[in-house]
Amino acid sequence: MTSNLRTHGGVALFGLMLGFSVSMIGFGDFAQLNAMFTFQDLRMFLAFAGAVALAAVGYAIFVPGRPARRPIHRGVVPGAVLFGTGWALSGGCPAIPLVQLGTGYLPAAVTLSGMALGMVLFRSANARWFQLDRGSCGL
Amino acid sequence: MSGYWPWWQGAIALATVTVGYQVVVGRSIGISGAWERVLNWREERAVERANASLDDDEFEAAMAAATAAAFGDPQPPLLARNSPSTVSLDEPAPAQRTPRRAEAPTTPAPVASQALLLVSVLIGAVLAAVSSGRFDVRADMGPAFSDLVVDGPLMWPVLFGGGILVGIGTRMAGGCSSGHGLSGCSRFQPVSLVATAVFFGTGVVVSTLLWKVI
Repeated sequence: MTSNLRTHGGVALFGLMLGFSVSMIGFGDFAQLNAMFTFQDLRMFLAFAGAVALAAVGYAIFVPGRPARRPIHRGVVPGAVLFGTGWALSGGCPAIPLVQLGTGYLPAAVTLSGMALGMVLFRSANARWFQLDRGSCGL
Repeated sequence: MSGYWPWWQGAIALATVTVGYQVVVGRSIGISGAWERVLNWREERAVERANASLDDDEFEAAMAAATAAAFGDPQPPLLARNSPSTVSLDEPAPAQRTPRRAEAPTTPAPVASQALLLVSVLIGAVLAAVSSGRFDVRADMGPAFSDLVVDGPLMWPVLFGGGILVGIGTRMAGGCSSGHGLSGCSRFQPVSLVATAVFFGTGVVVSTLLWKVI
């Protein structure tokens, strides 16, 4: 039970922080996103790259050991191309439409429903045809 | 610019979330994985229940072995074969099922915790928007979206189609900007470095086309 409390408390705390930070950085703002992807404004790019660098240091200090290496299967590159295209078009990675909704952009609900449909479609397509590793997000 | 955080403040916040989640929860954070599990909650719950009953069987075997050890063993060969060597009699079985080490969780995150994660992200975003004075209920995606992508009713199919691409793409690639981009890259996972380079590169190409051409 204590471990359950710790899990849910941690999830809620860092989920709140993630939503707050992603919004305050400006990822929910399409103008900021396009400015990042076209290198007109490096602020958000530096926030992301800086986070990766700092997190690498944080992992080295606080999390001993290295995670198991995951294979680069044949879905990684095409999947990332589809994702990058969808992100640049709709302004949504899986967390961002939530942030947009929380800011009052109602059409983000349509982005979310498209995303949900895409995930469900891929899950059944993957089970039937591809059998790719679903990834260890959340593991 | 527009009251957003300077880059270093964003970097510190995102890094704190990435490492903090791993340290406290014992798993790496990933929003697309959370979505997938919540969307398929029926199936995922069935798997969770199956795992739980499996653990109960293990617990029963351990109890039987403990009883045999305390009161004499009616069938020593059978029990010796059945009692799992990994289950310690000094510790209750549940402690073995919830590993404290961050490195090797054996089961996926509970569906309920992943739903909580998504709700928390939404609430965090509302708090940010309200406290910074940006909260504004509107039926469009802002002037930049109208200028760069599409204006008017065509907005709906573009958002829906873009969402489908994000949904298929993140699951096909096995992660998104949080799972691959933040968690994976900061641990030098080769697959995450490749995925992040590709989705970012594609974002650059498509955004530049939107900006310069369309």
